[in-house]
Amino acid sequence: MNGDIRSRRRWPTWLGPAILILPAFAVVFSIAAYSAFSLFQLSTVDLTFGEPFRLAEGVGLQNYQWLLTNEHSTFGATVRITIHYLLGTLIPELLIGFAIALLLNRKMRGNSLFTALLIIPVVLMPSMVGLIGRLYFSYDGLINFFFESVTGVRHNWYGKDLALVAVILVDIWEWTPFFILILLAGLQTLPVEPFEAARVDGASRWQSFAHLTLPMMLPLILTTLILRFMDVLRLFDVIFVMFSGGPGTATTTLPLYVYRTTLVQRDVGRGSAASVMLIIIIVALTVILIKLRERIKFEA
Amino acid sequence: MKVKNRGALLGSRILDLLTIAVVAAFLFPYLFMVSSAFKTRLETFAYPPVWLFTPTFEHFENIFDNMNILFYMKNSTIIAVCSTLLTIFIAIPATYSFARYRFRYKEGVAYGFLFLQMVPGISIVFALFFIARALNLFDTHIFLIVVYLLWNIPYAIWMMRGFVEGIPVELEESAMVDGASRFKAFRLITLPLMAGGVAATAILIFIGVWNEFSLAFFLTSTNARTMPTTIAFFMTHSGIKWGPMFATATIGTLPVVIFALLVRRYFISALTFGAVKG
Repeated sequence: MNGDIRSRRRWPTWLGPAILILPAFAVVFSIAAYSAFSLFQLSTVDLTFGEPFRLAEGVGLQNYQWLLTNEHSTFGATVRITIHYLLGTLIPELLIGFAIALLLNRKMRGNSLFTALLIIPVVLMPSMVGLIGRLYFSYDGLINFFFESVTGVRHNWYGKDLALVAVILVDIWEWTPFFILILLAGLQTLPVEPFEAARVDGASRWQSFAHLTLPMMLPLILTTLILRFMDVLRLFDVIFVMFSGGPGTATTTLPLYVYRTTLVQRDVGRGSAASVMLIIIIVALTVILIKLRERIKFEA
Repeated sequence: MKVKNRGALLGSRILDLLTIAVVAAFLFPYLFMVSSAFKTRLETFAYPPVWLFTPTFEHFENIFDNMNILFYMKNSTIIAVCSTLLTIFIAIPATYSFARYRFRYKEGVAYGFLFLQMVPGISIVFALFFIARALNLFDTHIFLIVVYLLWNIPYAIWMMRGFVEGIPVELEESAMVDGASRFKAFRLITLPLMAGGVAATAILIFIGVWNEFSLAFFLTSTNARTMPTTIAFFMTHSGIKWGPMFATATIGTLPVVIFALLVRRYFISALTFGAVKG
């Protein structure tokens, strides 16, 4: 009798969901923990890439200190280049993307096919995109052909001054459709009634855009920006294939800096320390942005 | 009145043309790349660019006969298919748990997964390089398959959770009232209804792994090389072999473009981790 009652006692309620999550949790967090542990360990040693790990000498947090304070460290310059890259891609992509989304947000035959085709740049192999970019931006390439037809001059995109602009333009081509597709989906789900009411009240198109469309779209715009922000900050392949951070340090964003320090300068310790800082920067900034978005959503 | 209508019609025609022009502008670099795969070396470098030419298939013959491109396609396929299937199998129970149960720290754990998804591949690739060496798994398929799970599983959970939450829980409950176990109710009711979402998630994960560069590039050398990393073979000291590279890019991007157009209905929610429904 006693046993019977015990066997019918219900399991604690958290057990079911916990068992279901366990495999995913175990796999993901063990890979993450193992990598994080090795990464942190590597960031506290002095080791030349290619040497066996037993030759590593512990130096504590000196690698971090060197990156942040040494006069020969280019970490600060790298952060500046990364900020230029972020602003240079995100702002035009948002503005152009939103404008095109507004253009596409109307009835037209074949519209859904057209928007579907915009997926293509987003899903292309980034390494191949990098190589295409390299050819198109060469002195005798497609970009200079268009520039010369319009302005009469050709530019040296491989040079120190324009290399960053070239990788930014490639990103704008590749990822503006991302903004178009998401913002268009958002525009199509906006309620109709407020716009009709505004028209009855005699509001101009610009007024209903500024006072209705924009505020209603703001949370989605922020979500899209956050997603892109994370991606741009960790972008490696396209820049690596186009210019691998050069010429000089012209296109060395943070991910490229990690690669160059670890593999080109063969300094595993400082490269790993830079990696740790890159992770901290991405996670911290994203958390801040998510919090910010919640607040704006709340006020809107 | 009639004049005004004609004006509106003209305006709408102009907008139609503008729309077509915009889409064409975004497709142009891709189409030019594909067309370049059929050009001779001289035509590729011609300035101004050549628009009309007799297509040549020499680069395609070249990559299949001399560069062994099928081998790299096979590697890419093995790694992408295995990692995708593993991801889906591991993520479905977790997804169900997040979507259907209420428990403490639920959102905390969900965000924990999301934050791990944010970690840039390049930032841990060299640590993974040392780990792979220590485990004797450098340049193997299995190492890449497992490592990709770190990004794939959180992505799958966030994607599929929305799909499950979109299915009314009452359907499952009524099956359970009729005597089905919770698992049976899931298998017979919810699973078939979320199949479309699961397929879309799987395709998008496949695309991600198929395209992935930095991990595949630094964690393989000859045995497990994937398609995107073959670009290194085209960058020789005598210059870049553009023709074979364009041919490889054309073949490598074709399955992805087809897949992406197939799941275009799900694409918006895919791009936003399920935050926006398309």
